[in-house]
Amino acid sequence: MPTISIDTFFACSLMVLLMISAMAGASKLLYPHINNTVDMNIAERYASVSKYLLLNDGTPSNWGQNCQGVPETIGLAKAGSDNPYTLDIDKVSRLNNENLYAVSYAQIFTALEMPDVSFRIEIEPVFEVALNLTEAFEGANKTSYEFEILTEKQGFPVQAELKFYVIAENYLETSHACVSNGRTYMNVTISNDVNGPALLVVFARSVSNAEIVSFSAYPFAHNSPEPKPKGTFLRLSPLNYTLNASLIYPGINLSDVYALSFNYSSTLTQTANSSQSATYNIPHFLDPSPTLIVVTGRNSTSFFTEWTAYPQIPLQTGANFASSTALSNVFAYTYLVTINSALYKCTVWLGGPRQ
Amino acid sequence: MKNENRGQIRIIEAFLAVLIIFSSFAISANLTVTQTVTNHDNLASTGLLALVKLDSDGSLGKYIEDRDWAALRDALNLILPAGIAFNLTVYDGQMQQVNTDVISNCGFSSEDIAFVEYVCASQGSNFHCYMIHLYLAVAA
Repeated sequence: MPTISIDTFFACSLMVLLMISAMAGASKLLYPHINNTVDMNIAERYASVSKYLLLNDGTPSNWGQNCQGVPETIGLAKAGSDNPYTLDIDKVSRLNNENLYAVSYAQIFTALEMPDVSFRIEIEPVFEVALNLTEAFEGANKTSYEFEILTEKQGFPVQAELKFYVIAENYLETSHACVSNGRTYMNVTISNDVNGPALLVVFARSVSNAEIVSFSAYPFAHNSPEPKPKGTFLRLSPLNYTLNASLIYPGINLSDVYALSFNYSSTLTQTANSSQSATYNIPHFLDPSPTLIVVTGRNSTSFFTEWTAYPQIPLQTGANFASSTALSNVFAYTYLVTINSALYKCTVWLGGPRQ
Repeated sequence: MKNENRGQIRIIEAFLAVLIIFSSFAISANLTVTQTVTNHDNLASTGLLALVKLDSDGSLGKYIEDRDWAALRDALNLILPAGIAFNLTVYDGQMQQVNTDVISNCGFSSEDIAFVEYVCASQGSNFHCYMIHLYLAVAA
């Protein structure tokens, strides 16, 4: 065989090998980029969907206030608001499953009109308030309780002004505001003539910005057995500045009902009642703060307190993505939103099948 | 060209082709521009929303008028998501730096830095307009 034929055969074989390896290499190299482009497109689409949820008011625009109405298209924005990411207090409250008039996940899913998109919405204060009962000192006439109050954002201390209320049977105590650097101790003294269980409500307002407010409530025994869990006696549903208190079982008598915010407090007047529920008007406080509503009453044997916030937060509604990230594209978007002049953190999770 | 050299030329061509194709692989492996742009966009929109929210009730202008840089830093630290480093500079109408203290939560260790420019008007009786430059990065 001549030398030229061997060289040509060798060169042709090399070219064929080269072409095959080039095709294999190109597909291996470009696959992540092509896949990434698809992911980026999905991420951008989901980002637009999350903004749509928070910037549009839905149809009808007042679907939150109409307790029987179901939205045709979903949107949480306050109708007619000039500021972006300002949410409607009633639309937010209707996302909470504790509310009697809550819209179900299926109803929101239908109203979103995107059959390939699952979602989850979480709204909570910008920072957390944690309350711990550290000690109790029982005297002849009074009992003192020492509480540890932590104001933190993901473990980092937050400097905040604190205001607390103590509620028991026919008893409301209000404190003056005090400043905490993230951890402080506070004493609550209650007369032994007062019947419990008692409820400690703490509002914390950031020192740097008055619109950033958080809260927490802590029930504790005082002249009483240990308090029952929240929701044992009543289902509280604030909507359209009206509180509906539904009795979980008959034989419950309601007494004082309070609306509390950082700067204001008020005793609510009953506007209607039946054997199964009672309604109260909630005042419009000119305060960049959530309103905490505390209902007191008695069942056949003992005193109780039930409470909820208006807007009804913290809330988590929608699909649970915890175990489905392997087979689906899940993206989370966090926004700062305003509800009744106070700032909250809203996280929108969106997911769909991996493409 | 002599006939007996034609095969050798083809081998040289083949090696040249190998060189060209693998060098193109090496270059294309570094094409990740799209992801960076999106990260920038997310960071920038987060920073812009934080400034808009602080400005919605006039707080932002008040911090600047009062020269309360510590409160401005604390407010930004609180409303920006954890894990985001920021550095903010306030300029007046003549682009002279106004803030005397550094308004930042930590140093930047990332090369992926987003930039937000925001114009803020004070709500006091004397009208002042400020230019705010906010740099954001994901903290290491």
